[in-house]
Order: sequence, then C-alpha cells, then structure tokens
Amino acid sequence: MENNSVISIQNLVKRFPVGGDFFTALKDVNLTLSKGEFTGLIGPSGSGKTTLLNIIGGLDAPSEGQVSVLGKSLDNTSHTERARLRRKYMGFIFQSYNLLPVYTVFENVELPLILNKVEPHERESKVKQAVEWVGLSDKINSRPAMLSGGECQRTAIARAIVHEPALILADEPTANLDAENSHHIMKILAQLNNEISSSFVFATHDEKIMGYLRRILNLEDGKIVKDENIDAPEFGA
Amino acid sequence: MLFKIAIKNLLGARLRTFLNVLVTAFSFFLILFMSAMYNGMLEHAKQVTMDTEIAGGAYWHPKYDPLDPMAFEDAHSVLPDEIQSLVDQKKAFPVLVSQAFIYPGGRIMPAIMKGIPAEQNIVNMPTEVLFARDDIAIPVLIGKGMASDTKLNVGDSFTIRWLDVNRTYDADEGTVVHIMDTENFKLDMGHIWVPLEKAQIMMAMEDEATYVTYEKGLPTVQDKGNWIPRDINYLVQDMEAIIEADKPGAQIMYMILLALAAMGIFNAQVLSIFRRGKEIGTLMALGMSRPRVVALFTLEGGLNAMLAAMATLIFFGPVLWYFGTYGIPLPLDYTEMGLIVAKRLIPVYTIGLIFSTTILVSIIVLIVSYIPSRRIARMKPTDALRGKAVA
Repeated sequence: MENNSVISIQNLVKRFPVGGDFFTALKDVNLTLSKGEFTGLIGPSGSGKTTLLNIIGGLDAPSEGQVSVLGKSLDNTSHTERARLRRKYMGFIFQSYNLLPVYTVFENVELPLILNKVEPHERESKVKQAVEWVGLSDKINSRPAMLSGGECQRTAIARAIVHEPALILADEPTANLDAENSHHIMKILAQLNNEISSSFVFATHDEKIMGYLRRILNLEDGKIVKDENIDAPEFGA
Repeated sequence: MLFKIAIKNLLGARLRTFLNVLVTAFSFFLILFMSAMYNGMLEHAKQVTMDTEIAGGAYWHPKYDPLDPMAFEDAHSVLPDEIQSLVDQKKAFPVLVSQAFIYPGGRIMPAIMKGIPAEQNIVNMPTEVLFARDDIAIPVLIGKGMASDTKLNVGDSFTIRWLDVNRTYDADEGTVVHIMDTENFKLDMGHIWVPLEKAQIMMAMEDEATYVTYEKGLPTVQDKGNWIPRDINYLVQDMEAIIEADKPGAQIMYMILLALAAMGIFNAQVLSIFRRGKEIGTLMALGMSRPRVVALFTLEGGLNAMLAAMATLIFFGPVLWYFGTYGIPLPLDYTEMGLIVAKRLIPVYTIGLIFSTTILVSIIVLIVSYIPSRRIARMKPTDALRGKAVA
C-alpha cells in the first residue's frame, strides 16, 4: 500500500492568522491515497476541503505534520521544487475554470505541455487527444469567452489531463454548472480515471458528484470524521 | 518557452496589448518630439546667427570688443590690403561700429550705429533698402523689436547724434526706410543700421571699418595686419556657451518628460499586471516557478517596449516627419525677449536622441514590469488564484 501511495499525510495541522489570533482550518489530519483512486473530500463550506487540496497540491504549506505527495515530502521543499512537482505530476481543475482568457481552447490545453517543454509536434497531438477526450474538438480554436460554463470546465479538464499527470486535484469542479453539465463532467472524469489511471481528488459539497466517487472522506471542522470506500458507485464508469 | 508564452500573451490580449503599446508609444513620441523641439530651437538659433550675422567668419579690428561699447571709439582703421581685396571681390563686407544717441519722439536713447554696405549679400539682411536716396539724409534700417521700443514706423524721422573721430558731437536726421523682421535679436535690439559710406562720412572715418565679415568657405588671409581673424567656432562660442549653460535645464526637462512617461507606463503596466493576479496564480498552479513568472511578465514588458518602438514609427512617425519637415508655427515673437526662436520651429531628431530615448524608455518599461510582477509573484498561489488584491 505504501509503495502504491500517491498521497501520505500524517498529523496535518493548518492554521491561518486571523486578526491577532489563529484559525485552525485542519486538525490532525491523517490520510493515505493510493494510485488510481477517485476520491472526494466532502463537507460543508469551511470544513477545510480546499485547504487540504491546496496543501496536497503544494500551493499552501502545512503548519504542522508531514505531507508526502508522489513520494516527495513537501515539508522541506522550496517553491521551485513544488512548482516542478505540480508541473510534472499534477493537474488542477478549479471551480471557476481559471482559463487564460486570451488563449484559445487549444492554447489553454497546450500550456502545461509548453511548461514541460514538450516538442511542438508532440504537443499538438496530445492537445488534440485531450480535447477529443472532453468532446471539444469543434471548439478547439474558440476563446473561453465564446464557451459555455460546461465547455469551459471541459477545457480546464483537458488542460489538467493533457500531460497525463499522476494526480489530478479538482476544487468544486461542478459548483458553477447545472445538473446536466455536472453529470457530463463527472462522466468524463470517471472515464479518464479508468483510461489514464491518474488519481483524482475532489473537494466538493455537490451531492451530484457523490454517485461517481469510489472513496468519500467526510470533513467537519477541519477533521476527517468519516472515510468511506464505495465498491459500486451509483454512476460508476 | 517563456518567449513563446510572452508572445502568445501579448498577441492574445489584443486590446490590453494595444492600449499598453499605445501608452508607451505615446511616451516615446512625446519625449522624442519635445527633445527634438528643444534641439531644433538650439540648432535654429545657431543657424540663424550664422545666416544673418556670422557667415564664414570675420576679421576684427584689434580693439573691437562687441561687449564693450566704450571700445567702439577706437576700434576702427583702414582695412589691411588682403582683407580689402576680399571686399573688392565682394567676398567680404566691412562694418563700421560706433555709439550713437537717437531721439525718437523727443526721447533720448542710446544705440549702436552700424554702417553696412547696402549691396552686400553675404549675410541675410535686407541691406539693399539702404541705397542712397536724395530725399533722405540718413536712411536707417531697424528691426521690429527696436521699432517697437522706439515706436518708429517706416518713414518716421528722428535725430541721430554721434561722436566723430575728432571727438566732436554732430547730429543729423535719420529716416526709417525699412523695419526688418529678423529672428536674430542681436541685429535688432538697440541697433540702427545705416549705409557704410554714410557712416564713414558721419564719423569722418573714410575707408575705415571695425570688422569685416566674409563669406563661407574662405581660408584665412595671410596679410591681415594686426586684425584678428575670428572663425565660426569663435563667433558662435557665445551661443554654444548659452546652449551649454542650458544643458542642465534641457536634461531636467528630459528627465521630467521621462518621469511623466514612466508614470504613464507604470500605471498601464501595474494595472495590467495586478489585474492578472488570477492568471499568475493559475500559472503557478500549473507549475510555473516564481522567478519564471517574474521573468515572463518582465519579458512581456520588454516585448511591449519593442512593439511600442514600432508603433511609434507607424503611428507617430508621419507626425514626427511632418513637423520635422514643415515645422510648427509659434504664436509669439520671442525676439523682443532676447531669444533667437524661429517663428516656425523645426524639431531636430538626432540619432543619439532616438537611440538614447529608445534605450531609456525600454529600461523603464522593463523596470515597471519587473517591480509589480515580482511583488505579485511573492503572493501565496492560493491568494493569487482567488484574485486577492495585492497590498
């Protein structure tokens, strides 16, 4: 299990300064995620889902505890090393898509490949494949402003998976979408999980997502209160 | 890699890039134009001085000091042979300088009276109006400034009193035959110009002169007696000294313009970069390191400057060319203020000015791109992703 682990967290505590005091967002979190998992961090607003996701992604640093992602300890790594880890092995999906507005779908999806210095001809084929996965081939030259919310999120997914990272972190990926689009997005993600064997971690409180997850971690007040494995998800791919 | 992304960002952000480039190009234009105007003003002053006063140079009587009117009394003699030969060949003309008093409208005014040959065409002065006329005792040419000071018009007569070579005061009536519109205040303010032959008779200094001005391109004569050759470099040295003395002023003006341009560019760049906080957060989340984010935005600034240089050429080049060719009419006559300023000011664009301005503006753009991007790249990626304002 340890050798197969993608994320290993021990005694994680995260505090934020609030005024002259500190607010503890995560309290003594222990967690291990294995390769290929399709996991959801579930909980109400303020329960610490996004904070945990950010720490796993190396976007934020823990106040206490040990965090190891893809075999690399994040405790003593520099910003540059964490950036390299994200660039090579992670993909991010954000609630508000975070697409670069001046880029086309192709260019947005291409960006992680450029950052990873992939050769141009290889980039083109990978981008086209990723865009095809999410069903946006006909919009490949459109800019985000010309896309619907669902299409924007599918572009963000293509961007997250184009370099086939080991770990994909999604923060409320369906929060801005209607039910139909939410299911569409989740189906794509579940299918990708099977095809490219990346591990997925979602931070969400969207009920619609639950039926796709194979593991659900319930957070309340910064603590994991329930860790549930689901052998046969309702909408399993 | 960064270059590719920077190019994409610039080309992709059409309106933002256009506005940034336009602001920078306008700054380029303003600095170039204002500095060129200043250069043009100085160059014009020098050119007018040469055109109307200095020509190719002069030979001065050894006692002549243009800054000491008291010296005029003794600063005259017959010309040395070779210099006289130049005059005979119409390659030079003599001028006799003396002090005088004039009485326009009953008021007494000191004046510098200069006798100049009416037929000379070596300097750009309308001396042909001084050809002798039977109905006028002393034909007088004055400048617009002098006419304004003395309230004299063409045809007005006034008394001229002078001290001749025998130290005897004499007086006669002068009549304004022409009021010249010259940009060289040194020919105008306090000056009255009379025909040389007349001046020589009035002063009892037949065939004598104070200095001789010769045409451009002539070598210095061998037999110049004790007369002193004054070349162009010497004669414009006062003007150059004024220009030199004014250099700190010009530099301050240049710095002010540069500072104004920098503020404009800084505002545009800061607004553009701080608005892109979320984009920076996204780039960080995708794995771009902080130094690379800073390098990317600084590079964008550099490319922005390059585009601005091209935009200046395209958008403002024709304007600069037009003014450089046809000049700009000035609403005021500065001659009365003792300034040699053209009525149409023609900007002069030197290679040095263009080069230094391009380098300086580019450096400013790089700095004002680097500072805010460094600051925003220091933010926590999570804050940048939320588009949190930079403190």
